[in-house]
Amino acid sequence: MAAACDSGGRPKELLYGGKASEFRPVRGSVIAVGRVLRRAALGRRLDDCLLRGDRTTVARDALVAERVGVDGESLTFANRNRTGVYACDGGVDPAGERRLPWCGAVFGELEDGHLLDPRLDINCRDRKGKPLAYAFVQPVAGAHWIGVEQDGYVEIYEAMAALPVRIASTRGVSTHEASATFEVTQYDVEGRELVRSRLEAAVAG
Amino acid sequence: MRRFIVMLGIGLALSATTGAQAYHRFWANCNDDAPTFMTTMTRDAAQDYANAARYEGYQWGGGCWNYDDADSYPNDPPEVTSTHGEGGDCSGLTFKTWRESTDTWRDGRYYWRALRNVHGPYTAASFRAGNGAPNHTVAKSTAGVMDAFASNTHIGMVFMRSLYGGDQIVEAKCEACGTNIFYRTYRSDSSYGGVGRWGWTG
Repeated sequence: MAAACDSGGRPKELLYGGKASEFRPVRGSVIAVGRVLRRAALGRRLDDCLLRGDRTTVARDALVAERVGVDGESLTFANRNRTGVYACDGGVDPAGERRLPWCGAVFGELEDGHLLDPRLDINCRDRKGKPLAYAFVQPVAGAHWIGVEQDGYVEIYEAMAALPVRIASTRGVSTHEASATFEVTQYDVEGRELVRSRLEAAVAG
Repeated sequence: MRRFIVMLGIGLALSATTGAQAYHRFWANCNDDAPTFMTTMTRDAAQDYANAARYEGYQWGGGCWNYDDADSYPNDPPEVTSTHGEGGDCSGLTFKTWRESTDTWRDGRYYWRALRNVHGPYTAASFRAGNGAPNHTVAKSTAGVMDAFASNTHIGMVFMRSLYGGDQIVEAKCEACGTNIFYRTYRSDSSYGGVGRWGWTG
């Protein structure tokens, strides 16, 4: 079921076999499919990743950004009073305690609508067993697309629902140092590059 | 006058250099030694280990300290890993005290020396969820010495149960408060859950 990537180049499929579309302005890219739903529409898909105590802190009509990429999938949503944001991270739990599709859940506090920390999660593995890291990226003003350098291609995530964007990568992950490095480029709605940066994230707090 | 301006320029340059070196400081003393695999792990020893980390400061994303009973670089900006100061953060202190592995699927016991800079793969929220083979959730009412209480943003270990409903908690709390033992009421706080470590031998 893992995405086709035999030649090490641009994959042709996303995680669940959907066609990997290219973002025209970025040659060789793959768009992670994204959509915005109400929490109620996701039912157990969302509930299964949260602890029981956290489920009550998220409104039934909360907006949820769902993303499915080449190696990872995620849900992102804010709590009821928008003091924090949750992410459900998809993949294999190497400790075998969580069942697919979720391998982790994180919570980041918001201050003036911004996360202070990318909330790195390195507890997951992809379907081939490689460490899979997740982190939040806060879009800069005017950014609509977030590009993440992967092995042989750029994965593109759409900013949605005024929430931080949860990105995933198997590249640059160090489980022993509990850190990961992401090469991130932000684009406006038409694909013009706005900012390019290296996100060095560490597990914290 | 010219000499004054030159000296001023040198002074400013030196102060800027010092500023640039203000970060990436204490971690220069740390190492990445392998942990020692242990067959035992007692709650007494865990108390001693956490107790020795008192007064050594707090560092977001950190896990390296010495034993001089002082925070070498206090009052860094909060929630910034790159300040590289002394001390663990809440989950880093718990990870080292509980002798855990950087691999979440290993439940063995790994002794990390104080100056070994390691945070471990768990945030407070992942401890709270019981993530990782060595960890599990426990009922708060039964949480005992060196079990922990964790919320989505913080974790502290029970140093001693206390009268009057609270506990003496050993924790790396924040830049301003450092690592110490504090009286807390996490046990009765609904945002906190009970967490434990499998594998105590005494």
